[in-house]
Amino acid sequence: MAKDIEQLYQERLARYVTAMRNEKPDMIPIRPFVAEFTAKYAGYTCQEVTHDYEKAFAAVRKCAADFDWDAVVGNMVYVWTGLTQAIGMKYYAVPGVDISPDVGFQYLEPPPEKAFMKPDEYDQLIEDPTGFLFNAWLPRVSTEVSAMGEQTSYRNNLSFLKGGMAMLNYFNAFGKQNELLRTESGTVSAISGILKAPFDIIADKLRGYLGLVADVMEQPKKVLAACEALMPHLTYTALCGADPEKKVPITIWMHRGCVPFFSMEHFNKFYWPTLKPIIKEIWAQGHQVLFYAEGNWNAHLKSFAELPDKSIIFHVDQSDIFEVHRELGDKFCISGGIPNWLLATGTPTEVRDYCKKVIDGVAGDGGYIMDASAIVQNDAKIENIKAMTEFTREYGQY
Amino acid sequence: MPKQKKIKRKPGVCVPWDEKKKELPKILGDEKVVQKVWEDIDTLGYIYIWQCLLSF
Repeated sequence: MAKDIEQLYQERLARYVTAMRNEKPDMIPIRPFVAEFTAKYAGYTCQEVTHDYEKAFAAVRKCAADFDWDAVVGNMVYVWTGLTQAIGMKYYAVPGVDISPDVGFQYLEPPPEKAFMKPDEYDQLIEDPTGFLFNAWLPRVSTEVSAMGEQTSYRNNLSFLKGGMAMLNYFNAFGKQNELLRTESGTVSAISGILKAPFDIIADKLRGYLGLVADVMEQPKKVLAACEALMPHLTYTALCGADPEKKVPITIWMHRGCVPFFSMEHFNKFYWPTLKPIIKEIWAQGHQVLFYAEGNWNAHLKSFAELPDKSIIFHVDQSDIFEVHRELGDKFCISGGIPNWLLATGTPTEVRDYCKKVIDGVAGDGGYIMDASAIVQNDAKIENIKAMTEFTREYGQY
Repeated sequence: MPKQKKIKRKPGVCVPWDEKKKELPKILGDEKVVQKVWEDIDTLGYIYIWQCLLSF
């Protein structure tokens, strides 16, 4: 490895980690969560980067080499549909198969009557979450897996073999990808490990949002018990994927637990009491959690302020970043806040102006990482991503 | 963490070693080696289903 590339990597790592610890680095780190944008930049279709992860990896590396970014995710088009197809996952619309090759993959939520978990199955989930996933959930979300009691099949047996080998293949490939990012362009792998709130995962993949809306009214004790039953498993899984060097954070993808998807009462009763202990446990083991707070979470900032100093990085999507800074800036690093609509429809001048406003408002004392509000897809203009990057480098020096 | 009344399968476990051990003849060699390898591979099955739920 060229010494200057390794030196660049070490400088970027120090910059990124310093900011995440809510301290002031030499300059503002840039860590864009670029997904289908990488395909657009590298000349691939969404289908290519979604279905062929080697192309997705190559697209990320090309962006990392051409843009002055401190850290990126090895593949933010994370759902490799080759894997989900091997397992037969029903809840995806795959580019080039179900939707246009130039549209990012989509999640499909079934109607409440076809939810992947039925309303009277909470006790089964609570008693044995892992058993429930294998025995009830997987056969329902897969076109291949036979339900318990049904006759097994060639396709059933094959799905576990192909799915397991494909998952191992994919996860192992990230090690090489991260090393290439380091040696080719001196870019840091931004995150390691996945977490979701118990309440969110029930809505996302089990009962569906509408099902859970009904359940919090009709069987609240079961919902709370289910969240509690999921907690140790979600903690364990998050820690399994965590950075052994404890530098880059585990990411929690926060979906629909906030007002107005649920009421403040429901947030306080279900969402927060079953997430807060997980974050505290992960922090006790030395890992930060990146709150990728999709949507607007301003109503809940006081709750997040209950967490230990530096235990999280709060990523701003549609929350008011200046209010986030007032409420949380003393305790936690903040990232994001550059609207995706602006990156898609604005001009480079407008992007620079917005970046200046955010930097002036929240980055003065360090503890800020430049990024778009949400994952950057192929609607973002290349010149606007360049403007965000170049302006931050010029103006973001401490 | 709230304590569950009864955890049927702990985090990281699909088939507990105690359950598997009952199916085996008396282990003549080092039981700890057999247990460790069983548990390590068993955890991969656990990771498979929870990653299916969380990541895919």
